[in-house]
Amino acid sequence: MAKIKLQDVSFFYGKGTAYCKEALKKVNIEIKEGSITGLIGHTGSGKSTMLQLLNGLATPSEGKVYLDGVDIWEKPKEIGKVRFRVGLVMQYPEYQLFEETVEKDIAFGPKNMGLNEAEIAERINEAIDFVGLSSDVLQKNPFDLSGGQKRRVAIAGVIAMRPEVLVLDEPAAGLDPQGRDVILDGIFKYREKTGATVIIVSHSMEDMARLCDDIIVLSHGEVVLNGTRDEVFAESEMLERIGLAVPQITLLMHELNARGIKINNGIYTEEAAVDEIAGLFGGAR
Amino acid sequence: MKSVSLGQYYAVKSPIHSLDPRIKIVLAILYIVIVFLCSNLLSMALLLVSAIVIVALSNIPLKIVIKSVKPILFIIAFTAIINIFWTTEGNLWLDLGFAKVYDKGVINALFLMVRIFVLIIGSSILLTYTTTPIALTDGIERLLSPLKRIGLPVHDFAMIMTIALRFIPTLMEEAEKIMNAQKARGADFTNGSLIQRAKALIPILIPLFSSSIRHALDLATAMECRCYRGGEGRTRMKILKCRASDIFALLLVIGFGAAVVCINIFASPFLPF
Amino acid sequence: MNSDSYIKIEDLCISYEEDDGGRTSVLKNISLDIKKGEYLAVLGHNGSGKSTLAKLLNMILEPDSGKIYIDGKEITDPEMTEDDVFELRKKVGMVFQNPDNQLVATIVEDDVAFGPENLGIEPAEIRRRVDEALAVVGMSDYAKGEPARLSGGQKQRIAIAGILAMKPDCMIFDESTAMLDPLGRRDIMNTVEKLNREHGITIIMITHYMDEAARANRIVVLNDGEILMDGSPAEIFEKSDKLRECGLDVPQCVGLVHSLKKQGIKIEGECHTPTACAEAIAAALEKKNGKN
Repeated sequence: MAKIKLQDVSFFYGKGTAYCKEALKKVNIEIKEGSITGLIGHTGSGKSTMLQLLNGLATPSEGKVYLDGVDIWEKPKEIGKVRFRVGLVMQYPEYQLFEETVEKDIAFGPKNMGLNEAEIAERINEAIDFVGLSSDVLQKNPFDLSGGQKRRVAIAGVIAMRPEVLVLDEPAAGLDPQGRDVILDGIFKYREKTGATVIIVSHSMEDMARLCDDIIVLSHGEVVLNGTRDEVFAESEMLERIGLAVPQITLLMHELNARGIKINNGIYTEEAAVDEIAGLFGGAR
Repeated sequence: MKSVSLGQYYAVKSPIHSLDPRIKIVLAILYIVIVFLCSNLLSMALLLVSAIVIVALSNIPLKIVIKSVKPILFIIAFTAIINIFWTTEGNLWLDLGFAKVYDKGVINALFLMVRIFVLIIGSSILLTYTTTPIALTDGIERLLSPLKRIGLPVHDFAMIMTIALRFIPTLMEEAEKIMNAQKARGADFTNGSLIQRAKALIPILIPLFSSSIRHALDLATAMECRCYRGGEGRTRMKILKCRASDIFALLLVIGFGAAVVCINIFASPFLPF
Repeated sequence: MNSDSYIKIEDLCISYEEDDGGRTSVLKNISLDIKKGEYLAVLGHNGSGKSTLAKLLNMILEPDSGKIYIDGKEITDPEMTEDDVFELRKKVGMVFQNPDNQLVATIVEDDVAFGPENLGIEPAEIRRRVDEALAVVGMSDYAKGEPARLSGGQKQRIAIAGILAMKPDCMIFDESTAMLDPLGRRDIMNTVEKLNREHGITIIMITHYMDEAARANRIVVLNDGEILMDGSPAEIFEKSDKLRECGLDVPQCVGLVHSLKKQGIKIEGECHTPTACAEAIAAALEKKNGKN
């Protein structure tokens, strides 16, 4: 069964006013339990709205959002519980830190869940481990940390709720390659250890290629591509047409094809491309 | 959130929109004075006509204008009713037993209502509806510029206003984001006692405060890099020029004021109210 | 001093004080010569000292030791007056990371006019410059609009126009694309290239994105406050292992060619863009097939 299912979901901003804008139009998607699904689309494609629908921060104007087959809005008073099960890490989450110590800030979510002290402490330790921080940051003031560290503390604050679904909006935005790798690895580890479902928004096709099982592409509020990583990357022309950055390797494969060199167009990783091109030269010598 | 419009500026073209903001500020002040000078039937009628002319000239849909008065309708109605029952002059119109209504009271209430309506409609059309906040600030700065000579930091105040106006939408957007992020971690802003709810705001206020400071520091650096060093030696791209139409508008309002004064002096004794 | 050097940095050192009273150096003995009209990328991971360098060039920070000359004038001279600083800031414009924190006015054209207004230029000339600058960045249609309604990339182009209207010789971009989406980044990179090629503006692009650095004429790689490498993109990418060691990526195409070379496949020429790489691979294939 799908972990999350969106059925005919539409979302309008400012309904009934002259400024009414349709952010999502009749979206139907299913997200497999335990998968890492990438969500791609340029600014204004409806990505952020979709993320907020998943954990009930936004209510669909039409249609239903199902978590484990249950409509999340069946009991509107219990939407809070859904938010603990579907953990959302917003863009630039480091700007939402507010406590005096890292420990207290990470504890905010678990505390709201009503967990006891011991359980909270255990979860904090587990969470900082996932994001690659050592326990000596716990007593530090989050405002004294570097940008990358702050980001990791903020992500730990959501992981500490042990969500069944972890949703992240551009978790690596603005970070350098090292910072990015630590965070992406942490997300991967979390999935491996807990079997959680992960949904991740990123502009970097290279990151998507590395991390995701499935990919959903949104454009102007509609799902234009939805499939496995291989299926979606095979549509590189479509991706380019809607203004998304295609991996350099894909572009290279197209360029080679255009020069009459017969080569697999569906390749998007460096490793696969090395094998493919080495093959052209008669394999490794 | 991006559709947050600041103030009530309504972007259409009209003779009033194109007036110099300085003139508009002066006109608004004059108009307010005139509203209070009107005290009899004839001048009140004239006042109503003038308000209709202003609305018509501004090209702003009536619906929008009426909307701006809505929030104060209750206050107007309340003061009007008080006026009706509290006035004990003139001829008795109605005796309800517990209260008496005199004709003077009804007329007073009517006058009061007209005054408040005209006051709000007139000043908001002359100022906020037809002038961008930035032009308004600019107009204030230039009108007050003589005060620079006595050492008042007029330019700095205007700059602060401008930046505040510029950052309100940014901070509102940010507040919403932070609120959503904390809600995603189970924060509850709607339930609980007053104290609990006030406490629940801390996770929003602290990040918002720190981000305001960050904005301010970054902006200060950026402004410095763009050679900003206060009002001294600064020029402006847009020069405000008083044109014939501005003078004409000014004369018109002054003329209207003079007419009201004349009515008060010469016609008043012959009017029933 | 070299006659065509525009910015000259000599033995620059800067450090900051830690909470415990110790000092951490951010830049260590940096010497650099930037020529007029050059398009230089300064590459480094977070904390490598690249943003500190930008702040030194714009006199936001003062070095502990060492000298910086801009257009022949020493900006690190303690005798500098406020007017001197003003004159120098006119010449070297700066575009920052967060577009929201650079825009002052609530109307696009008023914001672009902000810089020239500070310079005390005639109103008619400001108007001309504002229109021209907006045209260069392709934002003329938005002149009367509100910055709050623009996308990040558009806001950043307004910020560029605001600097451009001051007619600088040199522009420094301090991670100006880090907060933008791919479309926004592309627009900014194209604009930057245009400024350099068509308007002869010296560009210093501070970034950690390899593909952005690849578009410059010259790349300086900073690592832990020191210059690790300095050369053309081709020369820098040649040493992709060294780049990876200091926490930087190489463009996928460069990595690919590097791996192929390790397998003994000879590919010659510059390979940091897909087109160039395809050319090189096609040429290598032809050569090999010709031999057979």
